[in-house]
Amino acid sequence: MENQEETQEEVPIKIVRTTSAFDCGGRCPLRVHVEDGKITRIETDDYEVKEEQLRACLRCRALRQYVYHPKRLKYPLKRDGPKGSGKFKRISWDEALSEVAEKLKEVKEKHGNSSIFLATGGGYQAAFHDGMLAMMRLFTQFGGYSTHYGNVSSEGAVYATQTMYKSPFVGNSREDLLNSKLIIMWGWDPARMISGTDTIFNLIKAKEKGIKIVCIDPRYTDSAAVLAHQWIPIIPGTDVAMMAAMAYVIIKENLHDQEFLDKYTVGFDKFKSYVMGDEDDSPKTPEWAESITSVPAKIITDLALEYGKTKPAALMDCQGPARSAVGELYNRAAITLTAMTGNIGVHGGSAAGGLMGIPYGHMFFRAGIPPPKRNPVEEGLKSVRGSLDLRLRLQARCHINKMFDAILKGKDGGYPFDVKFAYFVNNNFLNQLGNANKSAEALKKLDYMVIADLWLTPTARYADIILPVASIAEKSDLTRPWPSGPYFTIANKAIEPLGECKSDIRIAEELADKLGIDDFEKYPDEDKALKFMLKMTEDTRKEVKNFRKFKDDGIHRIKFDEPYVAFKKQIEDPENNPIGTPSGKIEIFSQRIADLNNPENPAIPKYMERWEGRYDPLSKKYPLQLMSPHPKSRIHSEMFLVEWLREVDPHIAWINPIDAESRGIKDGDEILVFNDRGKLTIKAWLTERIIPGAISIFEGAWYEPDENGIDRGGCVNTLTKDAYSPGGASALKSCLVEMKLFDGGA
Amino acid sequence: MEVPKLQVGFYFDQTRCIGCSACAVACKDWHDIPAGPEKWMTILYNEKGKIPDLFVSYLIRPCYHCEDPVCIPVCPVEAITKREEDGIVLVDSEKCIGKDECKSKCLKACPYDAPQFGPEKGAKMKKCSYCLDRHLEGKLPICVESCRTHALDVGNLEELKGKYGDIKEADNFVYSERTKPAIIFKPKKKI
Ligand code: SF4
Ligand code: SF4
Ligand code: SF4
Repeated sequence: MENQEETQEEVPIKIVRTTSAFDCGGRCPLRVHVEDGKITRIETDDYEVKEEQLRACLRCRALRQYVYHPKRLKYPLKRDGPKGSGKFKRISWDEALSEVAEKLKEVKEKHGNSSIFLATGGGYQAAFHDGMLAMMRLFTQFGGYSTHYGNVSSEGAVYATQTMYKSPFVGNSREDLLNSKLIIMWGWDPARMISGTDTIFNLIKAKEKGIKIVCIDPRYTDSAAVLAHQWIPIIPGTDVAMMAAMAYVIIKENLHDQEFLDKYTVGFDKFKSYVMGDEDDSPKTPEWAESITSVPAKIITDLALEYGKTKPAALMDCQGPARSAVGELYNRAAITLTAMTGNIGVHGGSAAGGLMGIPYGHMFFRAGIPPPKRNPVEEGLKSVRGSLDLRLRLQARCHINKMFDAILKGKDGGYPFDVKFAYFVNNNFLNQLGNANKSAEALKKLDYMVIADLWLTPTARYADIILPVASIAEKSDLTRPWPSGPYFTIANKAIEPLGECKSDIRIAEELADKLGIDDFEKYPDEDKALKFMLKMTEDTRKEVKNFRKFKDDGIHRIKFDEPYVAFKKQIEDPENNPIGTPSGKIEIFSQRIADLNNPENPAIPKYMERWEGRYDPLSKKYPLQLMSPHPKSRIHSEMFLVEWLREVDPHIAWINPIDAESRGIKDGDEILVFNDRGKLTIKAWLTERIIPGAISIFEGAWYEPDENGIDRGGCVNTLTKDAYSPGGASALKSCLVEMKLFDGGA
Repeated sequence: MEVPKLQVGFYFDQTRCIGCSACAVACKDWHDIPAGPEKWMTILYNEKGKIPDLFVSYLIRPCYHCEDPVCIPVCPVEAITKREEDGIVLVDSEKCIGKDECKSKCLKACPYDAPQFGPEKGAKMKKCSYCLDRHLEGKLPICVESCRTHALDVGNLEELKGKYGDIKEADNFVYSERTKPAIIFKPKKKI
């Protein structure tokens, strides 16, 4: 707009109600303005109850620049230079898919189906146009494929909640935080990573209501800066030591809820004897914890007393700290504290567990219309059902964070397959899994690679064929609020696909044709599929009666009489609603884990100092702990190129002035951060907001190695390790590095 | 200059702002401003203290549509005006002779760096218009509607004062008596 005199254009504006399909922590209603077939503006929720509007964050405010970014892929591409060079030439869909089909047939013939690898992530995925399920179905009908187990984000928390509750739905509606009297945010920064669209506003309302909020985190996060009455900085990776000491104080002062523990849990006595030092002569006192965590014993004691006495209190752990060497123990210890204080299943409490999900709004995810059948390559394996034994999950698969190691080493490296052909969909795994340099090496070695994406990502640079995918603005779909609702959303197609972009499910159909798979059932058209999917699950069947209205509104809100609270039924009426674990109770001690006989995976939650933590001898060489939290201006590596977002959130490393001074680093200097796995450059930001001995680089910046192998893009996974915990957490946060002023390379 | 019949203004709850810049991005989208130096809305950052006693604040920096805008008299071609009906301060970019020609006089005069210029040579001044197009349709500015923490409000300044009190100070903000910015605050202090 130039000025007030400017007259309105005559083109009518169409408002399309929709959402994104990003792998973010929210799902926010959007009103997309479309003029002449083009998106011109974005507005957000206009629900009449202003305070309950689900307002989009900065990422979706920039959706237009994302959709129309000049670097969006619009045509199929074929590699036209060395792998990783980024040189490609445009080809037709027919050429691209014919080549991919030929390659698939050849590989199947020569090496068998297990050498076909499918790599799937959560990048831009909604329920119907789900590339993962489409490719699973296709490859299954082609005779089978190999794949990975697990996700990068939440396996530690998933393992902990499966162990103790046998349910991932451990969250309460966010407005229930207002019923709390004390909120402890432990390694959780919803101001950045969202955790449900309405989360931050409810926390602000809680603060304004006078509810005390304590933030425990190595960083003074954006959330802490707004919410915290008290910030307790802690050495990364030592959370369980502090939790154990809090348990010690609570037991010592007899503040634990023995009645609750007797009635609803098993194994507290074993945990108690660990905490009190009966089993190892080392009571987990606040002084003991201080020496590990750097949190003063008095602060630990005071918080423990306050948490033990204040009812109800919400201990909110998250998933980040669990992405470490023995990460699941952090969530298991947090759950144990909530059980000890009887805060599970009650308003204002919290069951902890880090996942925060409520069972409303999830059901669309990965439905598959039609769904894939059982993968022939995995036929005849032992069932993993109910098991906490990762080895069962890895019978025919590799762990997600070992994917590139598996591609590199194959059967010689102890993996169940040799990869000759890989299809990547919905992910930028080179960038987002541990040890990017090794990943690049693996992709250079890989015989043949296809990727479907919207962008020429660092991963896509190594592909032989790139297939351009339509963005969510170009499709209709059911989208999921994650991890909380309670509401359902629908994405309505706003514009035609750009260039020759296609949906992943259509790509699968066409590839099936090329492969001559005649019985590959075609996908229905969008409206028909979405209607069908709404009928498929009980919640939506009950809730969404009028498809037309749902489509027009873009959202269906669910009204509860009171906020949803996880395990309320199980606590109020345990006879009729046992917890899903083998004992029917919350398992502080897990027999299933004890049976595994793995000292790294204790049957009760314990503090364990593991590799690449503060006390690893390697810290002599690499004295800084690398943190890699979620960025605020992109969703992992998605939206990385969007300039509106980049300019409000420059890529910088948080460094405490103490660590900077001892190395002659000043604010704004370009620094080299390095370890044995790699080197990256980034600008230093000196701030008191991070504990000394740690450095924080937001994940998701794109890997960009220069001729000397230095990653000039500042991708944090250039430094992280491709390892996983006994519970399957991608251990990206167990990572030691050193830094120095960057001297220009060479 | 005539005293406007009405003076609009901003209210900013500094205790709620998480510094996310959703308002700034929404502003760029609505007004179709490319990434780059032209920013009608900016979030200023301030950090004080030592671990673990820290204080962090954010401050919105649109144009405050001052009661006595010092940017107006300095403009050699009278490109900046204040609307009589609501006090919104507008620039006629067509009239503006460009940043090089007049040496960015308005920007130098404004204590808040609200006048904005694109990167190109001779760029004309542009700035926050209080979303005049929306205002004329009876809608709130896009920044206000975009704020996830409901930290922003706008309206008739007198009414805002009645609703929120007449606090002219906030962390990282200095009230200029000369230009009288039309903004009131819930300032952030240590909690
Ligand atoms: S949108 Fe609201 S919370 Fe975010 S920076 Fe703007 S004023 Fe602050
Ligand atoms: S903030 Fe600056 S540009 Fe805006 S009216 Fe006041 S003096 Fe003029
Ligand atoms: S009032 Fe409008 S123009 Fe001004 S900062 Fe807010 S969004 Fe931008």
